[in-house]
Amino acid sequence: MAASAKQRLSQVTSHLQSSEADIRRGRDVILTKSPDDIVVTCALRTAITKGGKGGFKDTAAANLLHGAFTSLISRSGIDPSLVEDIAVGSVLPPGGGATEFRAAALAAGFPETAAVKSLNRQCSSGLQACVDVANAIKTGMIDIGIGAGVESMSSQYGPQAVTEFSELLESHPESANCKVPMGLLSEDMARDRQISRASQDAFAASSFAKAAAAQKQGLFDEEIAPLTVTWQDPKTDEEKKITVARDDGVREGMTAESLGKIRPAFAKDGSIHAGNASQISDGAAAVLMMRRSTAERLGQQILGKFVAASVVGVKPLLMGIGPWKAIPVALEKAGVSKEEVDIYEINEAFASQCLWCVNELGLPMEKVNPKGGAIAFGHPLGCTGARQVSTLLTELKRTGKKVGVTSMCVGTGMGMAAVWVAE
Amino acid sequence: MLEFNTQPFNGYGVKYSPYFDSRIAVAASANFGLVGNGRLYILGLTPNGIVAEKWFDTQDGLFDLTWSEAHENQILTASGDGSVKLFDISLPEFPIASWSEHAREVFSVHWNLVSKETFLSSSWDGCIKIWNPTAESSIATLPTHSCTYSAQFSPFSPSVLSAVSSDSHLRLFDLRTPASASNHLVLALPIHAPPKAGPGIAPAQGVPPSEALTHDWNKYRDGVIATAGVDRAIRVFDIRAPGQGPRAVMQGHDYAVRRISWSPHLPDLLLSASYDMTCRIWTDGSNEEALAGGEPLSFGGGKEMGRMGNHTEFVTGVDWCLFGAEGWCASTGWDSRLMVWDVRAFMGS
Repeated sequence: MAASAKQRLSQVTSHLQSSEADIRRGRDVILTKSPDDIVVTCALRTAITKGGKGGFKDTAAANLLHGAFTSLISRSGIDPSLVEDIAVGSVLPPGGGATEFRAAALAAGFPETAAVKSLNRQCSSGLQACVDVANAIKTGMIDIGIGAGVESMSSQYGPQAVTEFSELLESHPESANCKVPMGLLSEDMARDRQISRASQDAFAASSFAKAAAAQKQGLFDEEIAPLTVTWQDPKTDEEKKITVARDDGVREGMTAESLGKIRPAFAKDGSIHAGNASQISDGAAAVLMMRRSTAERLGQQILGKFVAASVVGVKPLLMGIGPWKAIPVALEKAGVSKEEVDIYEINEAFASQCLWCVNELGLPMEKVNPKGGAIAFGHPLGCTGARQVSTLLTELKRTGKKVGVTSMCVGTGMGMAAVWVAE
Repeated sequence: MLEFNTQPFNGYGVKYSPYFDSRIAVAASANFGLVGNGRLYILGLTPNGIVAEKWFDTQDGLFDLTWSEAHENQILTASGDGSVKLFDISLPEFPIASWSEHAREVFSVHWNLVSKETFLSSSWDGCIKIWNPTAESSIATLPTHSCTYSAQFSPFSPSVLSAVSSDSHLRLFDLRTPASASNHLVLALPIHAPPKAGPGIAPAQGVPPSEALTHDWNKYRDGVIATAGVDRAIRVFDIRAPGQGPRAVMQGHDYAVRRISWSPHLPDLLLSASYDMTCRIWTDGSNEEALAGGEPLSFGGGKEMGRMGNHTEFVTGVDWCLFGAEGWCASTGWDSRLMVWDVRAFMGS
């Protein structure tokens, strides 16, 4: 009798399997804490400095990464032997940087048991690294990992970063589009989508203004790990030890009017110029992630959690629209509406594309990049995705807000986005 | 809307009498049918509301029922103990016949609408049995090898019957064919198979198999059968073109669909009862209005016309009144409430 009751019950249970009605959606759901959440217990970055002339112009990418790693270990207090995998996003180094990144991890104090990989999804490499580590923890492949990103555009930016296209690739129109320089295609896109020079300059000026104000208030101090490096004075050729703790690309007093005077960089009658595009920069960032249960067991301070991520493809010539396509996908996966997000960190590759995405998605401008973006302080390619995590989580925490999105466009026509919650 | 409370029994099936417009029978079980007794209610619709004219208590829960097509006072029940019982409502207390051949719970019983001399039962034991009320044992056993939630005779042919089961198949049997190795099976149609791509119809993505819990023959269009179950979709098949896949797929229920019933009055109208606690009214898109509007009877052609959300627990049974105005129906469920209502009041809601 009892056995039959149990069987009848399990039969009814089987009738009720997996319905979308069971999936709770909305902000409250992602704010709920559960032991298997993937949490961030430390997120930091080096300062971001100007390529070729900034504080890190003579510092190798691996050294920047080393700096981020040592700061991460000391700040979080994590036992380095517990870290099982480190993913490093980087775009320009030959061989992907695989060898020197592993070496940098060893030098930073991680034992040989901590695996290291390098990866390259262009400008979203740093986010891809964080997402890879989060997914590896989620599936149980590892328990503790680091998503990182680094770029030394001072030493590695240039034509050698792309292999010559074969005839096969040249003969296929869409594939040949993959190597159209980003400045050119963004210029075309700005014209096609009617993003005026004035609106781009206004957007860029506000990025500078927000970043300068944030810097003045010390809002970046918490996320920046100061790094002491060797620096050659270009005037005297003298080698000095300097400590870099500030983004040196941020300029005060930039206005739409002053930006309006700069000559277009890619076309005579164009709208894109050095002042309304991201800066060429050097920098590194790292994010320590684990399950909430692990963090609580180790007594790690929880800064926030990773909720969901998306990656999408768009036309190579329209790579700038990537965030417009990726953000709704990530929000759908997270089960929240765009209104339920407090802060959007959308990379400012170009004012034109960032502005277009924000307008097209209908996001209120005050929710976007509240401390400025890559136009003001730079876009060290592989670093940016990991950098956005520390920028976002510290700002959410400071303002008592909760839900944030990081996103960027990706060269060759892609977009990525991720949803995070601060605690 | 009229209501009758079946507490402490939870409803599992409801059927209007085919003889009297004021008589409804409800099959109910204690403790949600998991363990305990069953009760068969014979209810009368009176000017003073719904009253219990009679009830019969049974040892195990009752999961389905069907009125005899041969005798106005006789009604058949499907029981959890594997028995099929025939009650005469003019006689007290006990069934006039009981057949115990099924090895597991019986989930459906259905009287032959054409010959009126046979009825069938289907069970968790993976068999359909054909019976004659005057014979002591079954006259045929048709295996499905799968828990068979629902089986029915065709309203058009005395020898054709159909069944849906937990293996996600709609089976068709024809008793005129030689028994042989196939046991009268003439068609086994995978319910989850996507519709065939055609001109203007993109190939649909396949869905995984899922338990089919209910099905019903259309009363006007020979060969048109609707099925539904755990995957929450109601599908309409034309068994004369089985390779075409579903002619309509109606999505909307949030949980499994437990019972569906075609309208006895309108050829395109269908009523469903679901674990999502609603009853919904659907058109499969085959009515002239829809066809004239350019909506083809094809994949996705059907749509929801309205829903009744007054039940507060799983809705398990629903049936149309054969008489009078063409919208009256009854529903029952685990909230121990029998509701008699007019679908027209819920259209467009």
